[in-house]
Amino acid sequence: MDTITVSGLKKYFRVFKRREGLIPTFSSLFKRKYFEVKAVDDISFTIQEGELVGFIGPNGAGKTTTLKCLSGLLFPSEGLVNVLGFKPFERKNQFLKSISLVMGQKNQLWWDLPAVESFRLNKEIYELDEEIYQKNLRELSELLEVGSLINQPVRSLSLGSRMKMELIAALIHHPKVLFLDEPTIGLDIVMQKKMRDFIGNYNKKYKSTILLTSHYMADVKELCRRIIIINRGKLIYDGHLDKLSQKYSHHKIITAQFDNSVDIQKLSQMGEIKSVIDKKVILHIKKVNARQAAVTLLEKFKVSDINITEPEIEDIISIIFEGKAHA
Amino acid sequence: MLKYFYVTKNSLMEFLAYRLNFVLWRVRVVVSILITYFLWLAIYSGRDRIFNYTQGQMLTYIILLTFLSGVVLSTQTSRVAEEINSGNLSNYLIRPLNYLSFNLFRDLADKLINTFFAIIEMALILLIFRPHFILQTNPLNLFFFILSLIMAVILYFFISLLLSFIGFWSREVWAPRFIFFILVAFLAGTYFPLDIVPRPIYALFELLPFTYLIFFPLKIYLGNINGFFLIKGFAVSFFWLIILYQLVKIVWQKGLKAYTAEGK
Repeated sequence: MDTITVSGLKKYFRVFKRREGLIPTFSSLFKRKYFEVKAVDDISFTIQEGELVGFIGPNGAGKTTTLKCLSGLLFPSEGLVNVLGFKPFERKNQFLKSISLVMGQKNQLWWDLPAVESFRLNKEIYELDEEIYQKNLRELSELLEVGSLINQPVRSLSLGSRMKMELIAALIHHPKVLFLDEPTIGLDIVMQKKMRDFIGNYNKKYKSTILLTSHYMADVKELCRRIIIINRGKLIYDGHLDKLSQKYSHHKIITAQFDNSVDIQKLSQMGEIKSVIDKKVILHIKKVNARQAAVTLLEKFKVSDINITEPEIEDIISIIFEGKAHA
Repeated sequence: MLKYFYVTKNSLMEFLAYRLNFVLWRVRVVVSILITYFLWLAIYSGRDRIFNYTQGQMLTYIILLTFLSGVVLSTQTSRVAEEINSGNLSNYLIRPLNYLSFNLFRDLADKLINTFFAIIEMALILLIFRPHFILQTNPLNLFFFILSLIMAVILYFFISLLLSFIGFWSREVWAPRFIFFILVAFLAGTYFPLDIVPRPIYALFELLPFTYLIFFPLKIYLGNINGFFLIKGFAVSFFWLIILYQLVKIVWQKGLKAYTAEGK
């Protein structure tokens, strides 16, 4: 059975249109003009149990809105949402006990108390047995390497440590479904890496279903085999990360190191020259011509080194975001 | 149920993080009580009965105010508005937790600690100034006093929750709350017993819920009341309890709808 089913999900927000100037502002107190924002516009997908799916899109694409619809914080304008057999918006206790939502920019911990006090409260909220609570806490603390930090007031912790505590608080009841909204935001590279490793391990160890949004492509590249890309509320791509380049990029990158300086004119006939640094040239060549171009390079030029690669995932995604994909 | 006990416990521990803040808050309470105390002492000089209150009754009323504000008027519900506006309310909504009960138990911590200090302060005032303090010993009076106190606590909880719910529709919660609480302080009888005002105005006061926050319990404590006063008082406050409870439920549901539609 699918853990998450979304079909035809729409979420429109009515936004109050502000007018400039004193008199228009005043008159708008009585007569308000609204316009509709289509935050999520007809999205469908399903996620199986134990999958770790990356959810990406530029700012304002509708990622967080979708996550909120899935966790029951937002009422869908249209469409069906089913998580673990529940309608999220009803927020039944049984549903809430099986999910967790971590928002990188919001915290649930008691700011002035040691994190362990927040964990204890969650133990009671989720009605965990003392034994299970202790076991989960020990495992999570070890995975995240937090040691005695759980006994320090949260306000005195660094951002990275605080994020770890947020994760422990969110996972103490071992939710079957976990929504992570930019869990690595604002963290340094080392901490981002640790967070990633943890999320990957957690997914493997407990077979929990995880939906993750992030602005850092590294998060997604390392963790998710499947990605869902949305932009302006529409679903653009849903599938394997590796297949993304096949579908959306029409060129390969050839990096060639020449023995002598070369005639740029001749090279530009083969493809687009992206950069020339000393005797190293980077070319973008159409996929269909890539093979022939490589042969030509090796035969007609004195090449000491040649390298053919797929474009970086970041580049492909920015092409998609800018809407050039179909051009 | 145990979860709400932990809410109270954690809230109590929060106080310890802001000890100085709390001590200064208590100083403010004591100073304002002392000002009222000495004002009435001066008004009474040479007279033993004003507006039907003996000096002893009036001073007892003023001193007991400390205790009653601790029990009834202590609240943390201003944080509700904060949590709505910051979007942190989401963190409560996604856990199997009743947010209204959560607030009740968070308030309980506030009430416990304020009442504890209020009792100490009252003892000090009694020891230092040795006023004529009326100790109510009639069990019937004490019973109705406690009953009215419980109703006052719930009434005030509903009223302050409703004020915080403004946060669902506006970011400007602080000003309406502030003005409203000054009004409540006056209408509840924290400056003087309400029945010293002209008869028609008092008749109006009797219909408002605020009268039953401070004045009504204290009047029962002081005694010399009749059965009609009791029945009428409990009937009106019970009426308000039902109305406000329904209002809290409706506004919470509507607010939640607005909140979840906006997606903070």
